[in-house]
Amino acid sequence: MSNFVIVYYALLIAASCLAAYFKKREIFILVFTLTLVSFFMGIIGGQSALRFITTAAGLLAVAAGMSYAFREFLILITPEGVAKELRTAPLTAAFGMFVICTYAIAGIFAPIIAPFGEAQVISSAFAPADETMLLGADQLGRDMFSRIIYGARNTVGLALLATMLAFIMGALAGLLAATKGGWFDQFLGRFADVIMSIPSLIFALLMLSIFGTNLIVIVIVIAVIYSPRVFRLTRAVAGNVVVMDYIEAAKLRGEGTWYLIRKEILPNSTAPLIAEFGLEFCFVFLLIAGLSFLGLGVQPPTADWGSMVRENATLISFGELTPLIPAAAIALLTVAVNFVVDWMLFRSSGLKEM
Amino acid sequence: MAPKKDVLLQVRDLRIEGYSDEQWIEIVHGVDLTLHRGEVLGLIGESGAGKSTIGLAAMGFARDGCRISGGSIEFDGLELTTTSESDLRALRGSRIAYVAQSAAASFNPAHRIIDQHTEAPIQYRIQKRVEAQEDAMQLYERLRLPNPGEIGFRYPHQVSGGQLQRAMTAMAMACRPDLIIFDEPTTALDVTTQIEVLAAIRDIVDQFNTAAIYITHDLAVVAQMADTIKVLLKGEEIEEAPTEQMLDEPKEDYTKSLWAVRSFKRPQKARPAGPDAQPIVSVKGIEASYGKTKVLDDVSFDVYPGMTVAVVGESGSGKSTTARCITGLLPPTSGEILFKGEPLPPRYQDRSKDQLRQVQMIYQMADTALNPKIRICDIIGRPAQFYSGLRGTALKSRVDELLDLIELEPSKYYSRYPTELSGGQKQRIGIARALAADPSFIICDEVTSALDQLVAEGILKLLDRLQKEFNLAYMFITHDLATVRSIADEVVVMQKGKVVEQGPKDEMFTPPHHPYTDLLLSSVPEMDPNWLTSLLEERGTDQIGEAADV
Repeated sequence: MSNFVIVYYALLIAASCLAAYFKKREIFILVFTLTLVSFFMGIIGGQSALRFITTAAGLLAVAAGMSYAFREFLILITPEGVAKELRTAPLTAAFGMFVICTYAIAGIFAPIIAPFGEAQVISSAFAPADETMLLGADQLGRDMFSRIIYGARNTVGLALLATMLAFIMGALAGLLAATKGGWFDQFLGRFADVIMSIPSLIFALLMLSIFGTNLIVIVIVIAVIYSPRVFRLTRAVAGNVVVMDYIEAAKLRGEGTWYLIRKEILPNSTAPLIAEFGLEFCFVFLLIAGLSFLGLGVQPPTADWGSMVRENATLISFGELTPLIPAAAIALLTVAVNFVVDWMLFRSSGLKEM
Repeated sequence: MAPKKDVLLQVRDLRIEGYSDEQWIEIVHGVDLTLHRGEVLGLIGESGAGKSTIGLAAMGFARDGCRISGGSIEFDGLELTTTSESDLRALRGSRIAYVAQSAAASFNPAHRIIDQHTEAPIQYRIQKRVEAQEDAMQLYERLRLPNPGEIGFRYPHQVSGGQLQRAMTAMAMACRPDLIIFDEPTTALDVTTQIEVLAAIRDIVDQFNTAAIYITHDLAVVAQMADTIKVLLKGEEIEEAPTEQMLDEPKEDYTKSLWAVRSFKRPQKARPAGPDAQPIVSVKGIEASYGKTKVLDDVSFDVYPGMTVAVVGESGSGKSTTARCITGLLPPTSGEILFKGEPLPPRYQDRSKDQLRQVQMIYQMADTALNPKIRICDIIGRPAQFYSGLRGTALKSRVDELLDLIELEPSKYYSRYPTELSGGQKQRIGIARALAADPSFIICDEVTSALDQLVAEGILKLLDRLQKEFNLAYMFITHDLATVRSIADEVVVMQKGKVVEQGPKDEMFTPPHHPYTDLLLSSVPEMDPNWLTSLLEERGTDQIGEAADV
């Protein structure tokens, strides 16, 4: 029994007893569960398992603390209306916002943060991590860390652009269809059906091999693939708004279609649209990563997380974690975005948590 | 009335809390309630008085976001506040039943009525399916539903609202419960339909000696139904007394104000005479149809400046369709609408900005008539900006002026959102929006029917004052004859898309009437507890059934 183990258990048990004594039920259950888990893992896995649990629990605690502090920080710096909404955000949403914020900073300031260029060969292939290369080198000897940072800019930027374009096209068409109705609605609806009936990956592959794989084509093709979903959602949401009496009142006032869409319908449809934006963003992100993995997305030497996974895939048979790092970057962002989206969905559904 | 026997439901010091703005707020502050077997208790009060919440609590149930925080509810010797959820569930439906306000919303549209009816008896193993169905048909017959053997096999959308409400009452009786809670069962119905539902409910409660809690905001209705009346205000009991005593000599001021609410009445104005007098809006022989169904047939009437024309009739009689034709939302297939002698284009898209400005509309449901995402100042300001081109400070002072007109303090309400207002205040904003266009003719579509009586009276007084101030002409669509009596100058009675009778108000309210007008007038509940009984004797049961099934 080393000092570490003794101090570890002593602290945990003391904390559990304190929580129980002061009738803090949730804290007690949390701490005591941790104590029990550590106890059994300690018996099975020895001191190393115990260290693993400590690290994991510590990381979780740090993430929770960071999220909490970040939320309080946001509440302080935002104006009153936004701050009121932020107070209702759960810790998961705050964590998501923090991660998204980190990615955004990494993407925007990539050239300053990254120690090397994204195409710069500085070492031998698959060199292990040292003090100049935090995460080691890739299959051509480029710095992995720098490429991850640049990848944030390329991949996330591309996905954001494509999603925004898809939303502008889809939402506008959906709002027009709901407002105009009649044959115009039918036409747009059937057109969306046609696009949706083609498998998206095959459609993307086809379009990219016809028009070539440059960034503009990728953005447009992905936007076209995803806009019918946005169209359908917007049309459904706006369809419920259009039948309201205030729309009738505005029509009888003689307002034009553009005013109706902008002032009367859109403000009442934003909540589900924002939530959908978050979801679609993840799908677009994964599609781009998938296309890059197939070699049709972002072209080398531009750093992109999807292609980085593919290029370093061979390394995984040697038990190295390097190819998993860009994959983890994708996963973390997806999870973070979904945390925020969940919160927004919860808000827009108007449910009350007991 | 049924003889009083032992106590069935005993509620003591009931306290219920609601969750809002992240804290629990008490909404029912210690209400006591005693109900004997076979007795009917009327709960009456304005919206927000906690009537429905107390009604549900009598079943040991609290809505989502509410909790029973104190007191005791004893049902037939069983304490409901400490009973487990599964035991409560067994109690509900079998021994306590609930009839909701809107049968149309409470029936599952995907199942046949009789299948929903027999669900509870089969579930609780009281009856087998065949027995339950036979029993259902017998109940339908007792409730005088047409074709009792067949009607249950229809889907809810295939029967009329009044029939559905009766089917719902039959369903509540399926397990022969000891207690039924009626939550505003006739509020959404026309007066003529209301009568047969009331008669049916009273019959069945008498026949099975069932105790009932009858929740409503309509005094005249509760007077027909209840043995005892309890008046509630903001979650507190104001007073309780046997029905006759309550009607004859209410003790508390609040109760008296409820009783006196329909006192507002203004003298009838005559049409302006002389050669210059010309109607502001003149509807000439319009016909209209939805698809192939003809909904308006040769409707003609005139509205003179500064006068109020009330259009009355049951739902489906074409009142609102006439309004849609005048506003241009539904172009009539023939006939024309003259505005100050000039024909209006049938489609609103073809009308000029000035023509649109002159005809404004106030809606029934202020909730859906005001955009929840737009501030009050913009809701009212937009028509002023749109028609008169006002900007900046001129626009702001116009909005302030309008808010003053509708008796809402400008500084307080200027930048609020509609969701932060009460129902009556929202309706006032709707009026201000119509006024902002500076119109000469306003269509009021059931503007008071969704409001409490006291609030509704305030709205009527406001409309009357504005009419005098701006010489406005109103077309007042309503099914509530009390409203007509208080505000109208002329009355148009509609039935099945036709005008059956029209004329000055005082003439319309004195006999002789057209038979349909007579039916409408006699169907308005009166404060006399024996009104329903004597009316039913007078009419005989057959006629009531007929009136309901038109």
